[in-house]
Amino acid sequence: MLVIKLIQSIVKALHSEGTPAQVAAGLALGSILGLTPLLSLHNAVVFALILLLNVSFPGAMLGWALLLPLGFALDPVFDAVGRRLLLDSPALVPLWTALDNMPVAPLTNFNNTVVLGSLACTLAFFLPLFFGSRWGVARYRTTVAERLRRSALYKAVTASKLYNLYRLVHPEG
Amino acid sequence: MTAKPALFRWRAVGPLLLVLGVVVALWVLFADRILRESLEEAGSAIVGARVEIRYLDLDLAEGRLTVRGLTVASPHEALENVLEADELAAEIGVLPLLEKKIVIDRLAANGLRFGTARSTDGRLPPRPGDTTSLLGEAQQWGRRLEIPALELAAGVLGVGGVDPSQLATVRDAQALRARADSSRRAWETTLAGLAVPATVDSASAMVRRLQGARLTDVQLLAQARRTVDQVKRTTDRLAALERDVKSGLRALESGAAGLDAARQRDFARARELVRLPSFDPLRIGAALFAPAAARRFEQALYYAAVARRYMPPGLKPRAQPGPRRVRRSGLDVRFPRERGYPGFFLRTAELSFTLARDSGPPAAYAGRLTGLTSDPDVYGQPTVFAATAPAVRAGALLDHVGNRLRDSIGAALADVRLPALRLPGLPLALDPGQGGVSFGFALARDSIRAQWGVHSEAIRWTRDSAAGPGSDVERLAERVLTGVKRLDLATEVSGTIARPRLTVTSNLDRALADGLRAALGDEVAAAERKLRSEVDRLVDEQTAPLRAQMASLTSAAGPLLSQPQAQLARVQQDLEQQLRRITGGIRLP
Repeated sequence: MLVIKLIQSIVKALHSEGTPAQVAAGLALGSILGLTPLLSLHNAVVFALILLLNVSFPGAMLGWALLLPLGFALDPVFDAVGRRLLLDSPALVPLWTALDNMPVAPLTNFNNTVVLGSLACTLAFFLPLFFGSRWGVARYRTTVAERLRRSALYKAVTASKLYNLYRLVHPEG
Repeated sequence: MTAKPALFRWRAVGPLLLVLGVVVALWVLFADRILRESLEEAGSAIVGARVEIRYLDLDLAEGRLTVRGLTVASPHEALENVLEADELAAEIGVLPLLEKKIVIDRLAANGLRFGTARSTDGRLPPRPGDTTSLLGEAQQWGRRLEIPALELAAGVLGVGGVDPSQLATVRDAQALRARADSSRRAWETTLAGLAVPATVDSASAMVRRLQGARLTDVQLLAQARRTVDQVKRTTDRLAALERDVKSGLRALESGAAGLDAARQRDFARARELVRLPSFDPLRIGAALFAPAAARRFEQALYYAAVARRYMPPGLKPRAQPGPRRVRRSGLDVRFPRERGYPGFFLRTAELSFTLARDSGPPAAYAGRLTGLTSDPDVYGQPTVFAATAPAVRAGALLDHVGNRLRDSIGAALADVRLPALRLPGLPLALDPGQGGVSFGFALARDSIRAQWGVHSEAIRWTRDSAAGPGSDVERLAERVLTGVKRLDLATEVSGTIARPRLTVTSNLDRALADGLRAALGDEVAAAERKLRSEVDRLVDEQTAPLRAQMASLTSAAGPLLSQPQAQLARVQQDLEQQLRRITGGIRLP
């Protein structure tokens, strides 16, 4: 069921009305939700950005769903990066001390090794992920999607009554 | 050409506000519950046992926090609470909460009760790096205190059961003999490896060849010099071997000298093994009360260690395990700042508590706690607790400011209900009833000084109904003890955490020692003499051959090395004499 949902959201994101840049931006923002511990204040901001900015919402949900397992798998790496930043970088201690003693900043849990490590890694890969996925979506739409649309199976499925019934329920699917 | 999409999706503002509204509504509905669970979890992590809160109400607008039905389980006893509180009312700072810091300006704690019973085990399973690991460390410390068993002979006093394998002197002597043997073999092998006779023979042959040589026999002279060098090298190695032999002999001699001290320890051990009753009041007192005293000191040390862990000195970043969640917890690192809020700070607490009495309602007392903080160096002053009332004096000082690390607690209570004490080794329980108790514990860095005293004028004795009648000596001990109706107990620990010393004195141990001596003195003295001669016999069986072996080794070591040394010196001298004769004392290249 989960896999079907995932495939459905992939298809939805790739075939949505949004431009490749919108899908990629959604994907990159969604990756922050997936890679960092969800119940953190910064994720509320990211979620608000996903809603407010004109990025692909299905893309964001896809980014979240795809990168969530990766987030779990990479937790030891994030923990190590966080330890390095918080405990083994004397030059950064004044910054952390200032943040830890200012209102609101500590509520972000920046002082947790996994939160900081995962956020730092996600932000470092944000732009590569954005540009990479924008290129990927554009390529997909000009090659694979076009060929798919021309295929006999696709035509047969989209011409079927069952599909028309489905479109009635999911008009933008 | 398609139009560039707008940057903002303004129609999402509505749903976003809706989501925000839902979040706020959830917070209003569940904040108390979330905070209660967080406090329970944090409290449990700090105490090392379950902390439970029945009711919690947080009023952020008024900066008020009310907790009712607080229960703190004991990390040491399964079915006991360290503390129960009817109500805690706190005035909390709202601004520090934005920094995730808890600053309580004033706390009123009502209805505190200590040592109450509970129906479920409140202890937590040990977790590495958690407070529960401190529990293990405190228990390990408790095991460092020497607590003798109460030895009461179970029948006719006999000494026939001394097992030589349990005597350290026997084992040490056997080990020394083996070491002496292996040392001797090693030295002989090394000496053989030096090939002194071959070197001496070769040098002597060279001396003979040089007798007819002239200055022009350059090759022969070069060979002669090489031979001299070889003799010198062998002499040096021999000197090294001699040093090795001397240090080996010294080590063996010091080992043999240590056997006398080991013999004394063995005698004491053998005395324990054959369970001869001791008449030493200190030993009897330790056997009777040291386990109970050790448990109390161990608990005090545990709480001091907890205080040191959660109230560390200095302003360095502090890491502690992060919150439990589905994802990895990681570490939460705090960065205290001198002029900031401490992570936790309780400025003043007014405590009202009750203590049970033998009869009538529990007595009510009041105390005041100031400056309890997780960052002593941010606050800059020690944490102080004081409670004074008729018949009660209690105080505590936790001074971790400026890396001082001094923790002390003291309490003296009169006319309170004292808990019963079981006497190890005897089927008796001592109920002191109403009386006075004093407890003091001071830890300065790793130096420890603690005392626990109990005084009662009307103690009651209860015999374990399931226990058998016991031996004659046990019955005598029971008779002596149950005849005593007053208790004066004083226990003390001093020294360092690594090397603590526990002393126990009481009127009971003196009474028991006198009673046992009067009844068994002659018999025990005779048994002791017999035991000593038995230990001496077993030990001498091993030490006598060792001493002979050592004497033989020492006497053999001299000639073993001196002979080859003399031979080498002689041939070196002959060679150098011949060389001087041929060269006329001139050093040739």
